[in-house]
Amino acid sequence: MINFYNFAIIIRENIYSLFSIVIKSPINDISENLGPNDLPYKIPIHPNLVHLTIGLFAIGIAFDIAGAFYPFEKRIFRFLAFPVTRVGFHDVGWYNVLAASFITFFTVATGFFEMLLAVPIPEVKSILGQNAISTMLWHAVGGVAILLVMIAMTIWRGYQRFVFRKDYGRQVSWAYIFLGSFILVLMGLHGSLGAWLASDFGVHITADQLLVRGEDLNQIFQ
Amino acid sequence: MVSIFTRLYPTISSLLPPLNEKNLPWIDVIHPIVVHFVIAMALGAVVFDFVGIIFKKPNLFEVSFLNLIVATIAIFIAIVFGQIEAGLSNPYGVSRDVLNYHSTIGWSLAGVLSVISGWRYVSRQTNPQVLSKGFVFVDIVLAILVCTQVYLGDMLVWIYGLHTVPVVEAVREGIL
Repeated sequence: MINFYNFAIIIRENIYSLFSIVIKSPINDISENLGPNDLPYKIPIHPNLVHLTIGLFAIGIAFDIAGAFYPFEKRIFRFLAFPVTRVGFHDVGWYNVLAASFITFFTVATGFFEMLLAVPIPEVKSILGQNAISTMLWHAVGGVAILLVMIAMTIWRGYQRFVFRKDYGRQVSWAYIFLGSFILVLMGLHGSLGAWLASDFGVHITADQLLVRGEDLNQIFQ
Repeated sequence: MVSIFTRLYPTISSLLPPLNEKNLPWIDVIHPIVVHFVIAMALGAVVFDFVGIIFKKPNLFEVSFLNLIVATIAIFIAIVFGQIEAGLSNPYGVSRDVLNYHSTIGWSLAGVLSVISGWRYVSRQTNPQVLSKGFVFVDIVLAILVCTQVYLGDMLVWIYGLHTVPVVEAVREGIL
């Protein structure tokens, strides 16, 4: 008697093994051009552009907050003999957010390039219990979402500066400040996902990749 | 003095928080987060200066100045966390030299940024709408210093993997 159940399992396993041969990573086609960190260069670019995105956006929002509460601060600045103007604070708020939006296109672009080449250490879980691929996918989709939100915020900021609140001392609405602060919290969480891709999953870190392959770092980094 | 310290050492070390799998008393490295504000603000200030000169927008000089102030405050916080995390980073091989250069330039940059911000404050007192030509040169030097410092810091993370789980594990096993 043929056991049809076992027969089905055998066929299924064969199909699986067939796919695992057929579906191999396309990175293999260019692997000879990549270094031990799985990149064609030594230092990843995305984490460096991230400094600019986060720094400029966060401080932009911070200066708009400082501009919004200016009536409370002006005595302190006078006491410190530090001459500043409300317009100056809002200028920083506007230009920093504008610069952040501009640079973030490159942050996202390099992020995707480097994610396509990422080889995370297998069987690792982040603090949130996520594995590498879900961390990468959340970081990627979240990154595009944050880019969109940043662009929307910049356009809104521009309209407030030049149209809606042109004649007001406080150049931004409270809604902008609340939303901006909320986005900063989101960015912190989003950035943490990215940080774990490096520190826990060892993505694009030469030393981690070499250690996982069982190579002797003492000899290589002599 | 030394004997007091050695006698108190068990008490002191029992008061210190335990270290995690990244050899840190906190979840993630804090220094690379704080340096966002040094790098972005210092390089931003340089770019805004140049844009202000080229497009004749003197209000950008004020944006530069305020960004420089933020960078100057942030670099001292970055140094505090940098020193703590460098002390816990167990550098190995060549990364020791890189860490030394990174520390030296980091401390120097704190001085350089303070002087630049102070100079800027003084020159701004007379006329905030004018930027002296000499500052263009200062901006270039500042940008080069910051980029060098970022590159060295990048090497510590992305080449030598200090404070990453596999490297800390290797150090604890005595491989590195």
